[in-house]
Amino acid sequence: MIEVTDLRKEYGGFTAVEGSSFSIERGEVFGIVGHNGAGKTTTLKMLAGLIEPTAGTAVVAGHPAGAPAMQRRLGFLPEQSPLYEEMTPLSYLEFFADLYDVPSAVASERIDDILDRLDLEHRDRELGNMSKGMKRKIAIARALVNDPDVLIFDEPASGLDPLTTNYILEFTSELSEEGKTVVFSAHNLFHVESICDRLVIMSEGTIVARGTIDDIRSAYGGRTYHVTSTPGAAGTVVGPDGVDAPVAEYARENGHCRYVVTDMDGVDAVRTAVEAVGGQVTDIETKTPSLEQIFLEVADEATA
Amino acid sequence: MSGVSSEGMNDRGSLGRIWRIARWEVTRSAGTVDRKTIAVVLVLLLAAGFVGYSAVDDGVGLEDGLYTVAVDEESPYYEVATADRTFRTVDPGEPADLIIYANGHVNPAETAKGNAAHAAFSDAVERHNEALMIAESDTAAAFPVSVTLVYEQREPLEAVGDGDLEADDGDDGTEADGDSLATDGSSDDGTGSETADDDASAIATPEFGGGSIDDSSGPQTPGSITPPFPFQSLVLAFLFVVPMNFVIQAYGSTIMDERINRRGELLLVSPASRYEIVAGKTLPYLLGVTGLVCAIALVIDGGWLSVAAVIPIALLFLAATFVGAMFARSFKELTFVTVTISVFLTTYTFVPAIFTDVTPIALISPLTLVVLDLQGESVRAVEYLFSTAPFYLGSAVLFGLGLGSYREEDMFTQKPVPSKVIDSIATHVRGKASVFAMPIVFIPFVFAIQLLTVSLVFALPETLSLPIIFLVAAGVEEVAKSVHVYAGYAHSRFDSSVKTALGIGAISGLGFFVGEKFTHVVQLVGLPDIVEGQAAFGPTLAGDSLLVLAAIALAPLVLHVVTAMIGALGASRGRRSYLVALVLATAVHATYNLGVIVLVL
Repeated sequence: MIEVTDLRKEYGGFTAVEGSSFSIERGEVFGIVGHNGAGKTTTLKMLAGLIEPTAGTAVVAGHPAGAPAMQRRLGFLPEQSPLYEEMTPLSYLEFFADLYDVPSAVASERIDDILDRLDLEHRDRELGNMSKGMKRKIAIARALVNDPDVLIFDEPASGLDPLTTNYILEFTSELSEEGKTVVFSAHNLFHVESICDRLVIMSEGTIVARGTIDDIRSAYGGRTYHVTSTPGAAGTVVGPDGVDAPVAEYARENGHCRYVVTDMDGVDAVRTAVEAVGGQVTDIETKTPSLEQIFLEVADEATA
Repeated sequence: MSGVSSEGMNDRGSLGRIWRIARWEVTRSAGTVDRKTIAVVLVLLLAAGFVGYSAVDDGVGLEDGLYTVAVDEESPYYEVATADRTFRTVDPGEPADLIIYANGHVNPAETAKGNAAHAAFSDAVERHNEALMIAESDTAAAFPVSVTLVYEQREPLEAVGDGDLEADDGDDGTEADGDSLATDGSSDDGTGSETADDDASAIATPEFGGGSIDDSSGPQTPGSITPPFPFQSLVLAFLFVVPMNFVIQAYGSTIMDERINRRGELLLVSPASRYEIVAGKTLPYLLGVTGLVCAIALVIDGGWLSVAAVIPIALLFLAATFVGAMFARSFKELTFVTVTISVFLTTYTFVPAIFTDVTPIALISPLTLVVLDLQGESVRAVEYLFSTAPFYLGSAVLFGLGLGSYREEDMFTQKPVPSKVIDSIATHVRGKASVFAMPIVFIPFVFAIQLLTVSLVFALPETLSLPIIFLVAAGVEEVAKSVHVYAGYAHSRFDSSVKTALGIGAISGLGFFVGEKFTHVVQLVGLPDIVEGQAAFGPTLAGDSLLVLAAIALAPLVLHVVTAMIGALGASRGRRSYLVALVLATAVHATYNLGVIVLVL
């Protein structure tokens, strides 16, 4: 549904995005993750046809990004979605539906449906008098009035309370289940982790990691085993060098030794070494790193 | 194009989207102003219009009934006192500023006001007597000596012969024939000067470049002769410009609104192109102004010429405001921009129109056409073209310039205005063809600035006005030839080698040369007949040998190419070098202009 090839964007002498390539399948929720200034929003805007790439191509729904035919099949939710606050939700949505040439009868039915699903009341109240959460829902509704195949959501839950955030995340998942392709960026990696099928991590304009959440976990950090043991006879302890396997981390805490290894062979090696000096393994804990930890690690590596 | 899209939605096409955005703009804008404010503004506008129209129609009226005159109805002075609104008559015996006895003796009250009333009444009697003389059927008896008065241009140029537009009679002096008061006027050549207005204050227009003072209102006494100043028509013409100053405030705000908090981003990502968005947002204001213009024309008896002359002014007001709103960084800055536009364009249109009956320079303002229309004079197509083409073309260029910035990458950024101008120009610079075309696009501005300079300095002594015109004319042309080249270099559109810079400069110079030929329309309206016009646009070539004509025709090409190369070379080396090169190119150009004028004259 989306094919991006060697996308690059320069502003004067500054390169905002460099050599981005990825493809997104129909019905997929695709995340773009990165710190501020990593190039996420620039990438999304190039996909939406708002920004002209310096080089490379982006094809969305079979059309070059920015082509009118493509824009008819796109729903775009920018990070900031200031509304025309003197309008009511209904007049606002009807205007955009009309602009997308949606027949008025269809638009009316669709708008009612979307507003119902988003649990939006006060449809005749001026947008300027609505809460931030309601305004965000209106902005999402606007992105859906043309029944798009592709949705680009830039920080859809930015600045919203947890309840509204969950609502919007669930709604985004529902849209994906209905067959819509969603490109999604967020600072809150928990949000990305909770709804994205695949993602790319961007740093300083380039993609530094890509794949499913599990792919990235296994490639950058993966699962770790934290083995805790008692000292051996006469307080003998086994250091990381005494273990016949790689030890990622080693520490002594409250008279106990703690070993971090990356696989079960490492766990066995620790147990063998500890028991050899008369000690005993008291606890084995399996830990999976969060996307945030991976992101920080990857971003640090990229920056270094 | 319209039809059904692949998604089954009806594609109404470009016009449909423009119309939809225009309708939305009307309803949305209406929502931003509360009804009380609209009502107050309407009342104020109506009041201003009424007062203005009344002032023109009947005078201001502040002096109405200022002095009381005690006079008997049987007195011959009674008619004078009642005819002049300055006086209010009271019955004899009542307290008054002026008492007129039956024997004709006039006794003013022993106050300052009484003395003033006396003086005013003496003037009124004199005017009354003059009116009686003018009404006399035997004019030779009433005025034994008659003088035909012809207005002349200041310091006429010897080299200038009878211009194409000079009056047929060719009279350029004062003639006293003693027997005929009727002059041939200007109706002979079809332009006509038959004033529809019988008001004595409306003096008929002499022909451009000669002509006579009056052909329809009969003789006048020396005291009533005033220089040709179309006060009434001018004030009425000014009424057209007034509403534009209000409309651009609203228009500038709505454009600025799209840029604040990235509001316009959502329209940009819709199927509507930026051209459709801007057209849709502009249309209601243009239609609104057009409606107002038509209404004003109806009220003041203006014809279609007035409407056709004012529309390009309205377009330029809107276009300049659009660009200003696209470049301004805040509403505060926008206010400054719109006020500047109001002052500049009002001055540009109004001041030249004052000289409607004096000099062809007046035709640089379309408001002059309105004045002529209101005076009942017709206007040739070439004069309409001369007056309005810079406005139409200037509007198109300004809209194009603003549209260059109407995209996500530019419209939401906060940059200084000069940087935005350069960015906006740079969006149109793509390849050699655009380098050739851009100077042509800038020609209306070059033309307008040169015309404005001529109109501003033509009243100054030539020793002062000519150097100013030489420098301004050269400077503005050099900017037009090089600013897009500089913008291109600032956005890395060209490599900075000397060879490329010279090539780009040559193309730009050639483009300007082609565009400059369009300015020769000035010769059709007689502007080169004045010294300042020659300084800005070059002398009339008629009468020169073929060789001289060929040299004069080709020399500007060499000049423009060379100076554009200087500018391009500077532009390729950065901003400071560009400014230095611009000064150098201007100096070369001004020297050339001076040389040509000296050679030809």
